[in-house]
Amino acid sequence: MDFNLMIEIAPLLVQAAWVTVDISARALFFGFFIASALVVLRTSRIRPVRWLSRAYISVVRGTPYFVQLLLIFYGGPAIGLRLDPFTCGVVVGAFNIGAYMSEAIRGAIESVDSGQNEASRSLGFGRLTTLQYIILPQAAGLMIRSVGVLAIILVKNSSLVSIISVVELTYQAQRLIGSTYKPLEVFTLSALMYIVIIYAVMGIVEFLYRRATRYTFL
Amino acid sequence: MTQTTETPMVELKGVKKRFGDLEVLKGIDLRVDRGRIISIIGPSGSGKSTLLRSVNNLEVIDEGQILLDGVQVNRPDLKGLAFEKHINHIRQNMGMVFQHFNLFPHLSTLENVTLAPRKLKGVSTSIARELGMELLERVGLADKAQVYPSALSGGQKQRVAIARALAMQPKVMLFDEATSALDPELVEEVNRVMKGLAEEHMTMLIVTHEMAFARDVSDWAMFMDGGVVVEANTPEHLFSHPDQERTQHFLRKHLGTQG
Amino acid sequence: MEFDFSPVIDYLPVLLQGVGVTLLIGVAVAVMSVVGGQIVAVITLYTRKMVNWPLRFFIWLFMTTPLLLQLYFLYFGIGEWILIPAIVVGVLGLGFHYMAYNADIFIATIKSVSSGQYEASRSLGFGHLATLFYVVLPQAFNRALPQLSNNMIIMVKDISVLSAIGIGEMVYVSQYAISVTFRPFEFYITITVIYYLINLMMEAGQTWIERRAAYRS
Repeated sequence: MDFNLMIEIAPLLVQAAWVTVDISARALFFGFFIASALVVLRTSRIRPVRWLSRAYISVVRGTPYFVQLLLIFYGGPAIGLRLDPFTCGVVVGAFNIGAYMSEAIRGAIESVDSGQNEASRSLGFGRLTTLQYIILPQAAGLMIRSVGVLAIILVKNSSLVSIISVVELTYQAQRLIGSTYKPLEVFTLSALMYIVIIYAVMGIVEFLYRRATRYTFL
Repeated sequence: MTQTTETPMVELKGVKKRFGDLEVLKGIDLRVDRGRIISIIGPSGSGKSTLLRSVNNLEVIDEGQILLDGVQVNRPDLKGLAFEKHINHIRQNMGMVFQHFNLFPHLSTLENVTLAPRKLKGVSTSIARELGMELLERVGLADKAQVYPSALSGGQKQRVAIARALAMQPKVMLFDEATSALDPELVEEVNRVMKGLAEEHMTMLIVTHEMAFARDVSDWAMFMDGGVVVEANTPEHLFSHPDQERTQHFLRKHLGTQG
Repeated sequence: MEFDFSPVIDYLPVLLQGVGVTLLIGVAVAVMSVVGGQIVAVITLYTRKMVNWPLRFFIWLFMTTPLLLQLYFLYFGIGEWILIPAIVVGVLGLGFHYMAYNADIFIATIKSVSSGQYEASRSLGFGHLATLFYVVLPQAFNRALPQLSNNMIIMVKDISVLSAIGIGEMVYVSQYAISVTFRPFEFYITITVIYYLINLMMEAGQTWIERRAAYRS
């Protein structure tokens, strides 16, 4: 291994890794709101709304993220949607992960024992206040863990935006392999950065999970 | 029942309930006066739990009327949010105790008791805290105020659940097999709390398997089977010499095993 | 905003060829990753540390880095020393990637088969290996089926990524068609629909497989 080369290219890769983090974090943030909206909409009283949101979730989960990205980036202008590569990565990432996350949130809510809902309602709490004070605090642990799994998928998926020439980690790695002819060195370093990012996400998730489920240890 | 002139605390008129093709309540009438304690016994599947849950509207009845202190509980004329508002208000006046306690596991014992008064009645945290401690004292668990439900025994959980229901100062308490899920040695502590309430003239509707307790504590006892009230009488009469053969048969089986 | 799907019709034979390549790769990778995943899991669980730690390392590495990065490494890295066709790199890359995911599942399900099953089999006179093949692995396989079929559904969607290293599956052939016809929206929408249909069929298959697996366990 050529360590001098690794030291030389490290700053470039760190910079690119930051773009990976940035794009994933933004997609996760917006994805969470999209997911929350979908959770509400898929049980709406209005039938077309319910039907459309379920169809949306099904289609997004049933087609490749990569194809969605290409469709919006290259096909978008045909329907008046012109996005720069970075924004496109955030938007498609958010709408993609939002569909998966809505299922994760729904699953977490449904995992709470139905007796909790009955007890709360019998005290006089309404649907929303029951959700706020009783159901969500108990669903939070599972929700955090499943959103964490999705966040990791989001980080790995973000490598695909290299195809629409966002200069993130995988893009930079590919470019450096081409210019240095040292694939092992470049791969080792960039893999290491992905691993660091993913372990950081896992650490944050574990911290939040402990906080959300503190009551089970007390 | 003697005082027939005043408004009954709970009244059921011709209550019917179906689950699909199965009619589980076939026209129930019941009148519970203020401060009275009614026990409902019967085999599983008799409809006794459904009846109790209907009073709280956890089951929505198909026909008939349920009234709490003169106010109609079921309101087929109200839809959507209007009904939500109505039923939430009604439920604040009823305390319900479940077989499986359904304590909120993410809240401490004291928070379980104070959540509803704080959020629904706007009681300040400090006053709610005082009230909560008083109630926990009453069920003998003041020392467990900061503990979480996972650290409590079944009997303790049920006592907290009773305190939680009492915190809303309900007009009536509904007990849905409150001791059925408990180990035998823990039943007594819950029964003691319920007897305490009886002495304070709380109006209570009790669905139970504990024949001895029902005889002991209630003013009136009902035997249900197959969705109808087979027999209703004073507990002395119903438990000692029931008129109906179905009641006799049921009691022979149950008193026999429980001694 | 005008849509013209006639180029899609014109290029339909090419597209269908791409679909065929996608499906063939899917079958090849599925066989490789399921069979390989099981072998890797058994070796990992039943050999000495010296033998199994590199395997554990590679399972971990494949699971914590993106597929595309792995493909680039194989394609440009190994292509540096020996000339191998892109299609082989693609199938091997995707195959190893999902082999790691499947091995991870098999390791968990093999461990979950109770030691009572093992003891019962040994007490009948079966040897260590016979017990593994006739008693432990069949049960572990059934338990792994739901997650395995999930992985395979995800894997088929990932075949689209192979277009990045120039493999002629359906995204790649559409990119070619787009470069001639300048109709990206129409082609990518078509690909989306085809993928969705494939996905629906795979989900139906998954339901069928799971019902059978549940029946047997």
